[in-house]
Order: sequence, then C-alpha cells, then structure tokens
Amino acid sequence: MSPYVLVLLLFTLGLGTTLAFVSSHWLLAWVGLEINTLAILPLMVRNHHPRAVEAATKYFLIQAGGAAVLLFAGVTNAWLTGQWGIQQATSPIFIGVISIALALKLGLAPLHSWMPEVFQGLDLNTGLVLATWQKLAPLALLFQIQPANSPLLIFLGLASTLIGGWGGLNQTQLRKILAYSSIAQLGWVVLVVQFSPSLATLAVLVYIVAAAATFIILKLVKSTNINMLAVSWAKSPALVAMAPLVFLSLAGLPPLTGFMPKWLIIEELSKQGLGPAATLAVLTALLSLYYYLRITYAMTLTMFPNNFSGVPPWRLRPLQLTFPLACLVTGTISVLPLTPAAIALVAL
Amino acid sequence: MSLPKLARLPSARLLTSVLPHHQLLLPPLSPLTIPCRTKIQQDYRRPGQPIQKEPPLNFNFSKGIKNIKKHFMLMKDEFFGRFVGPQGKPLIEHILEQNLVIWEFRGPESLKQWTVSSDQEIGGQSEAHLKMGRNVNTCFLHGKLCTTTPRDGETRYSGYCNMRSKIPKASFDRKKHYDWTSFNTLHLRVRGDGRPWMINIATETYFSHQKDDIYTYFLYTRGGPYWQEVKIPFSKFFLSHRGRIQDDQHPIWLDKVNTIGFTLGDKAEGHFQLEVDFVAVCKDYAHTEEFAYEMYERNPKN
Repeated sequence: MSPYVLVLLLFTLGLGTTLAFVSSHWLLAWVGLEINTLAILPLMVRNHHPRAVEAATKYFLIQAGGAAVLLFAGVTNAWLTGQWGIQQATSPIFIGVISIALALKLGLAPLHSWMPEVFQGLDLNTGLVLATWQKLAPLALLFQIQPANSPLLIFLGLASTLIGGWGGLNQTQLRKILAYSSIAQLGWVVLVVQFSPSLATLAVLVYIVAAAATFIILKLVKSTNINMLAVSWAKSPALVAMAPLVFLSLAGLPPLTGFMPKWLIIEELSKQGLGPAATLAVLTALLSLYYYLRITYAMTLTMFPNNFSGVPPWRLRPLQLTFPLACLVTGTISVLPLTPAAIALVAL
Repeated sequence: MSLPKLARLPSARLLTSVLPHHQLLLPPLSPLTIPCRTKIQQDYRRPGQPIQKEPPLNFNFSKGIKNIKKHFMLMKDEFFGRFVGPQGKPLIEHILEQNLVIWEFRGPESLKQWTVSSDQEIGGQSEAHLKMGRNVNTCFLHGKLCTTTPRDGETRYSGYCNMRSKIPKASFDRKKHYDWTSFNTLHLRVRGDGRPWMINIATETYFSHQKDDIYTYFLYTRGGPYWQEVKIPFSKFFLSHRGRIQDDQHPIWLDKVNTIGFTLGDKAEGHFQLEVDFVAVCKDYAHTEEFAYEMYERNPKN
C-alpha cells in the first residue's frame, strides 16, 4: 500500500474516533462511527486474500448494521422528543436500542458471532487496531448515555464474560482466542459502566495495554496457532519468559495489573447490591483463565518432543517493536501497586 | 454431483437462445445489463447437448427417517465432541500431531467421498472411472483422455479428467472445512503412469465471491511398478482462477480447506491411470519457506 494512502487511512481512523469522542449530537457520533468503519476496511484488505476479504465483508456488514440501528434510534428519538443530544436521551426504549446497536459494534454477546471470524482473517497488526482502537468510539458513546436500562447492560456484560470464556475453550487459532478474550474483557467493562464510568474507563485502558502487548508478542514470535507457540522458545527466549505474565495479567491474576480492574469492578458490583452478578462474573473469568493457561503451557512451560533438525527459525530483526513492547509489558505486569493513583487519575 | 459447467460468457447473439421468448420483444440488452453469469451457467445449454429433463420428485419416507436419525447422531457427536477438544480431538493431540491421514482408500465406501468428472460435461469425449485397486487398499482412477474438441462452435480446447473430494458436511448438510494450519506439507502415496497431474486445493470462497479460485501444483508421476511418496509443501501452491495463473499471488491459507482434486490435462491423447494409496498432511519442521514465489511490483513507475 502506498505510504500516502496508509497515512491518510490512519489519520481518518483517528478522525473518526475523535469525532465520536467530541460529539454531543447523535448525527455527528454516527458520522464518526461510519468514518471509523470506512477507514479500517482498506487496512483489512491490504493483503488481497480471500480470508481478508471475508473478514472485511463481515466487519462492514456488522458495523454498517449497528450504525444504521444507532442512526435509526437517534432519528426516532429526535422525531418523538425533539432532542438530538447524546446525554439528553432519557427514554428507556431509546437507550435500549442504542445499547444494542453499540453492543453489536463492540461485539458483546449475544451479538458476538462475527468477531472470531473477522479476527481470524486479519493479520496481527490490523487485529491489534480492531481490538483496541476500534472499541474506543462505541465505548465513548456507551459511557455517555444515561443508565436507564440496568438489566440489559448487566445481561450483556454477563453473557459476554460467559461466552467469551466458553467460546475460547475449543480454539487452536490464537486470533480467535484473542477475539473471545476481547469479548470477555469488554463484558467486564459493560457490567460496571452504568455504576462507575471512571472504573469502566480504567478497565478499558488496562485491557488496551494488555491486548496490545499480547498482539505484539504474537507478532514477534510470528505465531497464529497454538502449535506455532511451541517452537517460539527458539526465536526469543526472553520474550517467551515474559509472555506468560502478560497472558495471566489478561486473565486477571494478582499481583499483575489485570487484577486491578477486575477487583475494583467486583467491589463496585458488591456495593451496588449485585452480589450474584459479581459471583457469576468471577466464575466465568475462570473459563478465560483456562485458555490463557493453555497458551502459557504451550509456549513456556513445556518443551515439546519434536525434533528440530532443520534451520532454526529467524531471530528478531533489527527494526522491531521492542521498545513499545517493553513499555506495554511493564504496564501489563507491574502497575498493580499504583492502583490508588490509577483510580485518582481516571476519576478526574 | 459433477463440477459446474465450465461455460464462458456467451456472445450477445447466443443470448437469444438463453433468454425466454417474451424477453426477445424487449429492447436489446446493453453491455451493462448482461444477465448474471451464474444464471447463464445454470440455464445455458451448449449447442448439440441433449436437453436435460429434471428428474421426477422421489419421496421416500423411510429414507427420510434414516437421514434424520443420521443428522441427529452427527449433531450429538459434534455437541459432545466439544467437551473432548477442538474438532472432537483432545488439544494435546492437536499440538503434538505431525502427520494426519485425511483420505485413505480402504474399502468401497471411501470412493463415495470423491467425485470424478471429465470434459464430457462440455461435450468432450474423455472418460474417467474410479474404482478400488486390485488389493482393495488403494483407489484406481483410470480412463481415456481425448483432446477432440466438441463441435459446438465455441469450445477451443478439450481433454481433461478430474477426481475431486467432496466438501465435508456436518450435521444437517452444513458445510465444514478442514483445518490444516498445524501442517505445512501435503503427503501422497501414488503410483502413476508417468503423466503429469495437477493437484488442486480449493478453499472457502463464499465471501470473496471468487468461487473458481484454486491453489495448484503439479504432481509428476514416475510410472512403473513402484510406489511414489510425494511430499509437496503448501508454500509451493500457486493461485489460479479458472485455469489462469493470477498475477496477485499469496500463500494458501489452510484454515478453511474445502476440497482437493487431481486433474489430468496434459494434452496427450490416450489412456491414463493413477493409483492413490492415501492423501495425508504432515508437518515438516525443516521446511521454513512461507511462499515459494516472489512478488514483483506490477506496473512499476520507471
């Protein structure tokens, strides 16, 4: 792809998300979401491959559908109440339809079926953008709408954590596992968004850091399958030693950073009187933990009895994303002691 | 089930034989409104080909009950297989396996997984037949290749025979795919007659709308009484569309493989035979090549 086109698309991607962030009008928010969708489509089909075309087709249909429902709800609300403002919408039906549209765009269960197939068709760079940057705009809108549909968001959150954990169990493709991981992590965010948007913001930030670290690790060891992880010790032993900590941070194990949002969310849910919901969320996190542990087992804890008679795989090339990876891995592993500072930061 | 007819888009003159009569009274079609190719391929009848009447509806109640039982059993296996592991196998097996035999011909039932076709569909005179080999442990594809073109005024080349596996089906005839991402080499045990064959692998193309995209490589048989073990890395397969090698190449993705086929089209008239013992995939750790073909910049500025 021409570098000019690539820069244009990346800037457009930034523009779309920024528009969605700064808008207080539903129409402008819809424009931002659509610009986001249209900007990432050429990035998805950069490799002219049937699987990439399949991923782009599915992504476009889903995102266009979600945006259409969002626009429909906004227009209907404006017709009935005369209000276009995002934070002025109070009708429960309107909020419910908007929540469902945003859930479709985010890939929350039960509207998640497209995510594993789309992630599977992309290279790891584009998958990283899809898992992190593309979630920001819909989440920004979700944070702004008034919490009028408590049971719906709780249902979306719990279904996402459950299906995100269960669906990833039978996967051997790493990109599909990361898709289910994304579903589960966003489920935790949606559980608490109506009670504490700042806590949801913290959860999103921690997820973005951990997911970025994961994608970059997989890109460096060039693995898209659990089998390929088995020989990654020869490519970069130090990275293979750090990678389990990143995966377990995603799983939410203390004393890693990933424990921070889960702990605070459970505390907040308990304060709100949603003990059973908190219990179910914790139990479903165990399902996710299982496949993270499986990845860790395949990558680090086992030396597979395969003969390595051929040429060892390539080593790290000079210009790799080692510095960003170092920062992200540090952020993913060792920020738990700074929890009070993180809470203060997001509460600003 | 046979391969779809390889019809080229007919000229406008021939459209009159395709379109219903009442449409002939409409203004002639402009190039932008030519009917879709799939419709033409379904309805188009080559000159000289007999009119195929639709078979009468055959309602068999007991067969229906048997099919329903079969599909529910398959669904039950799929459901409980998920508790064992991905695709019904434990994960440790997925991680450790280095060889997997996909097709082996150990009885007449194994032939039902394959479809044989030849250029008789387009009016040619080649013949191809598939049967069990003499020792009942192999399949035997034999026939006669004939390069005589059909006299329909539009076909320029003829003479091919093909043996293609059927698409795997899950319960209720849902399409399934082979996931060969753990492997990087195709392993065959064949005994041919010295003719060059083409191995065609077709992946899932529903969303890319390129249903004739096929990844091809060549199988050079030695002939003679000795068996031949052929190992072809998947990095060697190149993309072709309707027989034409594409400029924009990419390595085959092995996560959704639909069919594999063996095609003979070497323009040599005469008898042929190919005996296949098994078709397997394996993982060769010494083979680290990702794609065998360099991509040059097309339409360079200088």
